Amino acid sequence: MKTLTLVQRFQWSRFFSGEDLGDEPALLNHRRIFILPSRRGLGFMVLLLLLLLIAFVYNNNLTYMLTFLLASVFFITILHSFKALAGLIVRPGQSPSVFAGEAAAFEIYLENPGDRPRFNLHLTLSDTAVMNLAANSKAGIRLTSKTTHRGWHHCGTVTLSSTFPLGLFRVWSPLRFNLKTLVYPKPSVQELPFPMSPDDASTQGATRQGVDDFYGLQEYQKGDSIKHIHWQAYAKGQGLISRRYSGEQGAALWLTYDATHAQSLEERLSQLCRWVLDAEKAGVHYGLVLPGFKASPGLGLAHRNKCLKALALF
Amino acid sequence: MHTSIDRLLDSANQIILGKPRQIRLALCCLLARGHLLIEDIPGVGKTTLSHTLAKLLGLDYQRIQFTSDLLPADIIGASIFDPDKRQFSFHPGPIFNQMILADEINRSTPKAQSALLEAMEERQVTVEGTTYPLPAPFFVIATQNPAHQIGTFPLPESQLDRFLMRIELGYPDFTAERELLSGKARHTLIETLPTLLPQVQMEAIQHAVTQVHVAGSLLDYLQAIIVFTRTSTDYPSGLSPRAGLALLNAAKAWAFMDRRDAVLPEDVQAVLAAVAGHRLRSGSHDSEAIVAPVLEKVAIP
Amino acid sequence: MVTEISKNNLIFLLSAIGLIALPHVKHIAPTVFAFFCLMLTWRFAGVWRPRWLPNKALLFVLTLAGIFLLYSQHQGILGRDAGTRLFMTALALKLLEIKQQRDLYLIVYLTFIVAASQFLYEQNIFMAVYILLTCGVLLATLISLNNTKQDNVLALKTAGVIIVQALPIAIALFMLFPRVEAPRWMVFKDPHQARSGLGDSMEPGSISRLGLSDERVFRVKFAGALPPKNQRYWRGPVLAYTDGKHWKQTQSRFADARRDKIKAQGRAYQYTIMLEPQDKNWVFALDMPTHFADDLSMNANYQLTTHKDPNRRTEYRMTSRLDYNTGEITPDEYRENLQLPKAPIDKIIALVQRLKGFDTAPETFIQALMQHFRQEDFHYTLMPPLMEDKPIETFLFEKRLGFCGHYASAFVYLMRVAHIPARVVTGYQGGEFNQVGKFLEIRQAHAHAWAEVWLQNRGWVRIDPTTAIAPERVEQNVDIEQQIASGAVSFIESDAAQALSWLGDVRQLWGSLDYSWQRWVINYNSANQARFLSSFGIETLRQMLYWLMAIVAFITALLSWLLLRGKNNNTDKVLIVYQRFCRKLGKIGLRRKPGEGAVDFACRIKRACPEHAPAVDVITGLFVKLRYGRHPTQNDWLKLKKQVALFKP
Repeated sequence: MKTLTLVQRFQWSRFFSGEDLGDEPALLNHRRIFILPSRRGLGFMVLLLLLLLIAFVYNNNLTYMLTFLLASVFFITILHSFKALAGLIVRPGQSPSVFAGEAAAFEIYLENPGDRPRFNLHLTLSDTAVMNLAANSKAGIRLTSKTTHRGWHHCGTVTLSSTFPLGLFRVWSPLRFNLKTLVYPKPSVQELPFPMSPDDASTQGATRQGVDDFYGLQEYQKGDSIKHIHWQAYAKGQGLISRRYSGEQGAALWLTYDATHAQSLEERLSQLCRWVLDAEKAGVHYGLVLPGFKASPGLGLAHRNKCLKALALF
Repeated sequence: MHTSIDRLLDSANQIILGKPRQIRLALCCLLARGHLLIEDIPGVGKTTLSHTLAKLLGLDYQRIQFTSDLLPADIIGASIFDPDKRQFSFHPGPIFNQMILADEINRSTPKAQSALLEAMEERQVTVEGTTYPLPAPFFVIATQNPAHQIGTFPLPESQLDRFLMRIELGYPDFTAERELLSGKARHTLIETLPTLLPQVQMEAIQHAVTQVHVAGSLLDYLQAIIVFTRTSTDYPSGLSPRAGLALLNAAKAWAFMDRRDAVLPEDVQAVLAAVAGHRLRSGSHDSEAIVAPVLEKVAIP
Repeated sequence: MVTEISKNNLIFLLSAIGLIALPHVKHIAPTVFAFFCLMLTWRFAGVWRPRWLPNKALLFVLTLAGIFLLYSQHQGILGRDAGTRLFMTALALKLLEIKQQRDLYLIVYLTFIVAASQFLYEQNIFMAVYILLTCGVLLATLISLNNTKQDNVLALKTAGVIIVQALPIAIALFMLFPRVEAPRWMVFKDPHQARSGLGDSMEPGSISRLGLSDERVFRVKFAGALPPKNQRYWRGPVLAYTDGKHWKQTQSRFADARRDKIKAQGRAYQYTIMLEPQDKNWVFALDMPTHFADDLSMNANYQLTTHKDPNRRTEYRMTSRLDYNTGEITPDEYRENLQLPKAPIDKIIALVQRLKGFDTAPETFIQALMQHFRQEDFHYTLMPPLMEDKPIETFLFEKRLGFCGHYASAFVYLMRVAHIPARVVTGYQGGEFNQVGKFLEIRQAHAHAWAEVWLQNRGWVRIDPTTAIAPERVEQNVDIEQQIASGAVSFIESDAAQALSWLGDVRQLWGSLDYSWQRWVINYNSANQARFLSSFGIETLRQMLYWLMAIVAFITALLSWLLLRGKNNNTDKVLIVYQRFCRKLGKIGLRRKPGEGAVDFACRIKRACPEHAPAVDVITGLFVKLRYGRHPTQNDWLKLKKQVALFKP
């Protein structure tokens, strides 16, 4: 947990956008919680004045008492409002990568280590999530914000606020975590064929099935050669099973920047992104070549993410 | 007890050069009564490691070479008609030993694999309605070639979960390699090894490991790790409850080996890669990299 | 932000509003209350059938109807009744237009004002408790509005907790907030209903039943001992003029500065009298008041009147002495107090002659007349027959049944016939002593009339002819119920008697509670406040404000501590101390990463600054033992605290 110097404590920016918390969890205490009367609270103050006037004009002691009681309630509510947030621990969580145009989701974890429940907690980014937290519990919440461009998308200030108990005060804590998500380029909607690889022109579509070595058994899929059906298994009533043979590995597909035909940089990246996704889906080993970047052919989630990251940050 | 553990580690380190951490993890796995999966390319000393451990622990040792034509009966044994007695009698297979080295387990068919794994899980074998208990202690050290090698059946995730740890040996470093090349053959060295941890003492240690204290704040950390893996998008699926228990048991053994009677977050971190790596992402082999985000992002409460 | 308003919230709110407005059924015009009830019922129905709620056009019509209703009362918008009507109507109309949470808040605020308006009509304890409870429900409504988890019990509980916590500051404000009387122009007069009580005139013959209630008139708290029971005469208006049937006050009661000063002696009785609201500006005092507050004045008939608004419950402090001499009277007074409507009939002359009224000393005649009442067939009753025509003659010679008024007027008449200046004094006699609060409570049933005659050298002397016929009326404090129940004797079983006495205790306890309530809460005005605070040495406005601020600050500090103190358990304490250690290291650039264990961190520290290795080892070892170890001891914790305090990177 971070502590603040005296100078930092009085910075105005803290009031609106919160201090920079990095990746550390934030314990909400008097330094991070701000309280101001809400509009309804101001209305309540007008009510108090009106009641005081009535009490004064009619010299009515019970009306005085009611006024003072409500004024006191108003005052006490400050403490209760503070209590609504104090002691909570907020931790930044994950933020999965998205494609441009999709909503980025940032995970925030709220922990209530105390033994009283918290109500009506509002977590605001671009939209607001409302939640209650039982005593000694934790909860994760996913806040979304719209993305437009590829690259790093920063979460910015997340505001945790509450109006509990009476709605007369708004208590809030602006939190600026080092939360960012990688936004991949928006995949092109155009369905262009994969570019021809310079070394092998026949590797479009799927891996070539080999015929040399027995590799294993798999459920029969449409298009499997009838020669490869495991008839013994079929005779035992185990259904159609195909024998698989692994041949030589299909030559890799090279996705290069130059192979794209679009006009602008963004459109080209968008096309590459599309190809990466398609290749992954088709199970083709692929490599990516960008000016100043080269990913050797591979397959799988990690490889895909590596390529997409290169595209996002290009 | 601690001195015999240290002596055992010293001896093992003289046989398998430059891999103290892997040896420590392997022993930790055995002390936590878990089975071990060693995953690496052939020839880096997987067999040597298991054989050394068996020898030092004084256990009956049997190696089963898994091939694609291996049948379950080749592992667990079979009932064979005895013409003299005119009845079937059970001939126990190689699995009826205290330490089994299942070499290249991914070479065999899933059928043979599952026969071994079921025996591992239940610690008994059932053949034609009769149940035969396996000897105690019972350890399986399985080795596996990385999945992208041709002609293999990678273990499915559900089966991987039965191994407490997965470790990678990797190539030896320069000095270790030199020593290996200039030294005696490993086989002869192994044959001369004395038993440093007799079975009685081993069982006492295993019992002591279960008694290692676990504080509430440590469980908090453990749970934070589990929750993290379940909510994080880095992993296709999070750690199962069984994986959580495995992590705890391994951490206890690790703490015991460090001569402590209470588990620290560091113990959990030390065994995390080995325990959680294969459970979090079966396809990848670099366990350290897989669990790196966990170590970095999950705060110790 | 437009939020869905839940059904639960609405029902909660509407019920609270209904409860708060309910007592107004006694106070405001039935049409307005009916309008309010209609709107509330409509809104209630709308909770389940939202389509039944009025649309904009209908709402406009309803608003017009409300305005017309207010206008038809012809009393503008200022003043208590008019203001209450206005707020009730506004609230009723606003109820039908709930769209957002903001509307609910406006409604709640209006309801608070309606709640306050209840106090303008009734200020008893019941009303105070009732409004306090309903305000709690209203606050609970606000709480449930701000809680997505709909839990009414929790909301009520929270509201209760907040109110209880708010009470100390509210009480401090109540005691110390400077009270200033509102300037006259700001006080809006309302026509109020006439109250029963003593009147300007007396006409004993025209009443067949003394309709006096047990409504309280005033309460008296004596600083010392109480005066004897038969001397507790509370002086009210003096009636000197008669036309034979009625007795009235004379015109000259205000003039005259020439009269003699009262020469009083004997024991001085100091007391505080708290008058209930009444129509007349009379202040009843123990016969004869000698010292009284500045806001009172005494007229020629020794009756006290106040300059303040009698419509408000007020307290006065005064001193009375029982033994007094008013001295000479002026010729005007002499003439007025001998006034007779016309020449008395022969029968009366004969009666006075028989009692030697014309030829003996006045004292002798008085004795003779009292003897006459006692010996002849006179009876005391609260239900006398009607004597409309010639009441005095009828009473003296025919019916011979009557109450104090009959006896006093007949007595004075006969005195005047005998040329002795005499007059009727009305007021109250006796009073009920409250054992709990040690004060006298005087009710309307204690109303009394007696005679006053002027005697040479003695001044005005009180003569109570009723004592001749019903001494117990004066000697004892007769139970009011018994007195009103036409004197029927009833046997009371001992159990019942005990129950009755127990009931009496409760009644006294309640009376005492109510007196304290009236005295310290309702009647806590600027004078009382000044007196009360000066007993604590708080004299000036400035001191008052300082004290107010100090008390509020103290209570706030106490509440903050109670509310916000963290409940640290053992491990948390350890963690806090360890974090202090980490902060110290943070200053030299060594920060623990979130996922870094204490031991790993210690290794890093030792690499970075080997000179601290021993201290770091000790601290880390203790921390690890305390946080993860099997048997951490208190001693370890103290050692850790000490080590961290000593640690200086």
